[in-house]
Amino acid sequence: MLAFAAPNFVLLQGVIIGLGYGLLAVGLVLIYRTNRVLNFAQGQVGVIAAVFLVKLTADFHFEYWFALILSLALAAGVGGLSELVLRRLFSRPRVLVMVATIGLSQVLLALTALPFIRPKNLYKPVPVPFDLSFSLGSVIFTPAEVLTLIVAPIVAIALAVAVRSTSWGLNMRAMSENADSARLSGVWVRRTSTITWVVAGALSAFTAILNAPGQTSALTEVLSPDLLLFALTAALVGAMINLTVAFVAGIGVGVLYELLQWNVSSIANQQLALFIVLIVVLLIRVRALRKDSRSGERSTWQHGASTVRATVDTLRRRVSRTGMWMAAIGAALLPLVLNVGNNYLFSQTCIYAVIALSLTILTGWAGQVSLGQFGLVAVGALLAAHLGQTYPLPLLLLLAGAVTAVVAIIVGLPALRMPGLFLAVTTLGFAIFMQEAVLATPCWTLPLVHRTLCTGLPNPASTLIGRSTLFGLSLQSERSFAWFSLGVLLISIFAVRTWRDKGVARRLIAVRDNELGAAAMGIPVLRTKLLAFGLSGFMAGYAGACLAFATERFSTATFDPTISFIIISMVVIGGLGSIPGAILGALYLEGLPALFGSNATIQFLTSGLGVVAFILYLPGGLGELLHRFGDVVTIGIRAAQERMASGRPGVPPPAPDDGVVAAGLGSPPALVPEAVES
Amino acid sequence: MSAAAGPAQLTVENVGVTFGGVRAVEEVSFTAEPGAIVGLIGANGSGKTTTLDMVSGLVTPQRGTVRLDGADLAEYLPEERQRVGMVRSFQDCRLYPELSVFDVLMLCEDVKHEVAVVPTTLQLPWARRAEKRKQVAVDQVIGAFGLERFRHHRTAELSTGTRRVVDLASIILAEPRLLLLDEPTAGIAQREAEAFIPLLRRIHEVADTTIVLVEHDVPLVFALCSTVVVMERGRVVAAGPPEVVRADPKALTAYLGASDEALYASGPSGAGSAGGSGNEHSESNERG
Repeated sequence: MLAFAAPNFVLLQGVIIGLGYGLLAVGLVLIYRTNRVLNFAQGQVGVIAAVFLVKLTADFHFEYWFALILSLALAAGVGGLSELVLRRLFSRPRVLVMVATIGLSQVLLALTALPFIRPKNLYKPVPVPFDLSFSLGSVIFTPAEVLTLIVAPIVAIALAVAVRSTSWGLNMRAMSENADSARLSGVWVRRTSTITWVVAGALSAFTAILNAPGQTSALTEVLSPDLLLFALTAALVGAMINLTVAFVAGIGVGVLYELLQWNVSSIANQQLALFIVLIVVLLIRVRALRKDSRSGERSTWQHGASTVRATVDTLRRRVSRTGMWMAAIGAALLPLVLNVGNNYLFSQTCIYAVIALSLTILTGWAGQVSLGQFGLVAVGALLAAHLGQTYPLPLLLLLAGAVTAVVAIIVGLPALRMPGLFLAVTTLGFAIFMQEAVLATPCWTLPLVHRTLCTGLPNPASTLIGRSTLFGLSLQSERSFAWFSLGVLLISIFAVRTWRDKGVARRLIAVRDNELGAAAMGIPVLRTKLLAFGLSGFMAGYAGACLAFATERFSTATFDPTISFIIISMVVIGGLGSIPGAILGALYLEGLPALFGSNATIQFLTSGLGVVAFILYLPGGLGELLHRFGDVVTIGIRAAQERMASGRPGVPPPAPDDGVVAAGLGSPPALVPEAVES
Repeated sequence: MSAAAGPAQLTVENVGVTFGGVRAVEEVSFTAEPGAIVGLIGANGSGKTTTLDMVSGLVTPQRGTVRLDGADLAEYLPEERQRVGMVRSFQDCRLYPELSVFDVLMLCEDVKHEVAVVPTTLQLPWARRAEKRKQVAVDQVIGAFGLERFRHHRTAELSTGTRRVVDLASIILAEPRLLLLDEPTAGIAQREAEAFIPLLRRIHEVADTTIVLVEHDVPLVFALCSTVVVMERGRVVAAGPPEVVRADPKALTAYLGASDEALYASGPSGAGSAGGSGNEHSESNERG
């Protein structure tokens, strides 16, 4: 690191890559400003255009420029269409919309494979309109790179002009300040929002078309976590508001990346440096981000999913309890009838449910979005890999939990004074760092003490992990392990329920909903947030250790950062903050595909489109559905009881009273001060 | 500072703060004697809420000191001020939209008797007992304020008036020695605001506390307070007992307006003519 060289060609390469990040970041900021939505599908929209461009030029032999215009139009149309689909979610919690865009990006990826978009030869390079190239140092810059250098700045400048001087730009800026106010003063909020998405779609197309020639196949997934992280970092440097800063920051990230590649030999150290830079940059920008956070925060959780459902009715409560016991007993009997393979999947699903529960605490209650929960799971798994044979199992699980809790708190520190969105970026960075730098067995020479510490799996490609025994009982058979996992899940459910009912959840929610009010009331805000990170990390940690034992053999690929996206989708599909919801979400996204993975319908339902449809039409999630089912059962039982009591059949079921339908909707009278007088 | 019992004395000395060139508050001084009710009145933007923010520590004063029972509060974070008996309510009375009335009140008890996570998780005997005790205290307050039927309603589902009552109930639980109320009647109809006078008196009596309140409803302030402080453009223009302030020409021009009608409006006959709640709605975006 001492001899840090920055040759011109490396810098220029950095600029070229960075221009791509910059454009992507600008698109993210545009949409965030307008709708307060973090659009994870931003990159994927453009890929459709890039693929379509190949299709038009290679298969249909269109003129390049004509094909380019058609592709851009396609991306713009797809962008606008996504806005129309997602529009009805804009008033819901932000996490919901974010997960919907993750689903949308999968839908778009599937669209790319449609016959009228997908070219016959997938490996045909994306065409370039001219044959200009030059060399700098020993490096030849290809026509595609020259094209990027020319086109990207032009696009950026054109956008800047449009934002500053068109009526759309003015409306958009007004909307980003205060959408309600803008609406009342005559801004067509909906149209402005649609146009913004159209513009962002076109922007994304430029990014993809400019970047595509460097890739082997046009048909790629752009939601690659690293790319997303770079673009998000750039967007956050611009405080999610400033387009120019975001664009320049994108270029900066590109240059930094190339410089690290050139100077730092080990990938692990590159990742470490990137992660540190990310954290430092975010900490520096804290002030600018906080300035905007107030308004965004307010809308973040309004009309949020009902987190804690108070059920007053005793019969209703009994129905819930009976249902729970029946589910638990059913689950306990299940391993008896399942074969070995399915028992393995059963344990996996249980462990995923525990991970989803850890996010219920963090995202559902504390309102902090984590995109790197699997990074924490990996920490627990690593401990199991290293110490699995030396410690007794219960102790090991506690240790894994405790260590991961500490790691989670450290990762969460920069996000302490931030709105929930921030944690998404640091955790994503952490998950990538875990996978690429820690799990891959890099050895770090510690400064000062000059000792080498190897953190990763003994063999990153595939490590064997033996299952230890539980109080002398063997867990070798898949059936016994399935019971073990179920036990871990049940204990976790019990713990989370206790936290929900006995004072932990209300503190977290209070701080989420009204930080100032909570502080004035005397609730220690920082400590409460740390508690959320810690509890969530603890659960993720011991779940990780269990996962390591469940799989017995695992590799770095097991901890792909994209799995974190699936985990957060589980929590959202289940219903934010709902405990049964998290378990149902895990069943739905992990259990169903595992059991019926080959079934096309299941694949479809659990794919992106299924997730989007779920969020659109059942925003309360599976937990809500279950709750309503409980209500219906209660009403049915009550009707039957009354019929028996009155002795005459055929009495119509009574209307649901306040207790049955969880929270009464009747509007309370304004004030009841007389009561104090008495 | 020891958490002494009984109402506290608040001394504000020459506090001032500037927001990016705008002098929000300048050289404001007043004293609230133990057990007094002090009313801050003034037009929108005259610095009342900012003064309250400085007392509660949400805004750090650039000049001057805030003292509680003679001790400087500069080093106290907002959440620490609660521990010396300072409690404040907010203008928008947002509370916690997703929490039920019961949970909001339990939170106040949590602050007083904190139980660590591990005993809670394991449901150790003392954690259970603590939770029971809290419940008893909360049940009492719920009964006293007639909130029984709203017990399990989420705060977001309550009307503004009911939310205010919940807010006041949580204040009782917090056992304040100094109570800061930011426009307790904001967003409430005139008739209901009148009902607040006996309610506030009762709270003053039951909680045995000093009260500083910011209010637009001038008649309410004059009926309730032992000291009235009139502010204009960040400065105190008049202060003293209600009779004195009512006669002070500077106070009249600053805010009260010359019309006696406005001054005596609160009361069954004059409902609706007071200047209070009219301009209130523009300031607090209650209806959003």
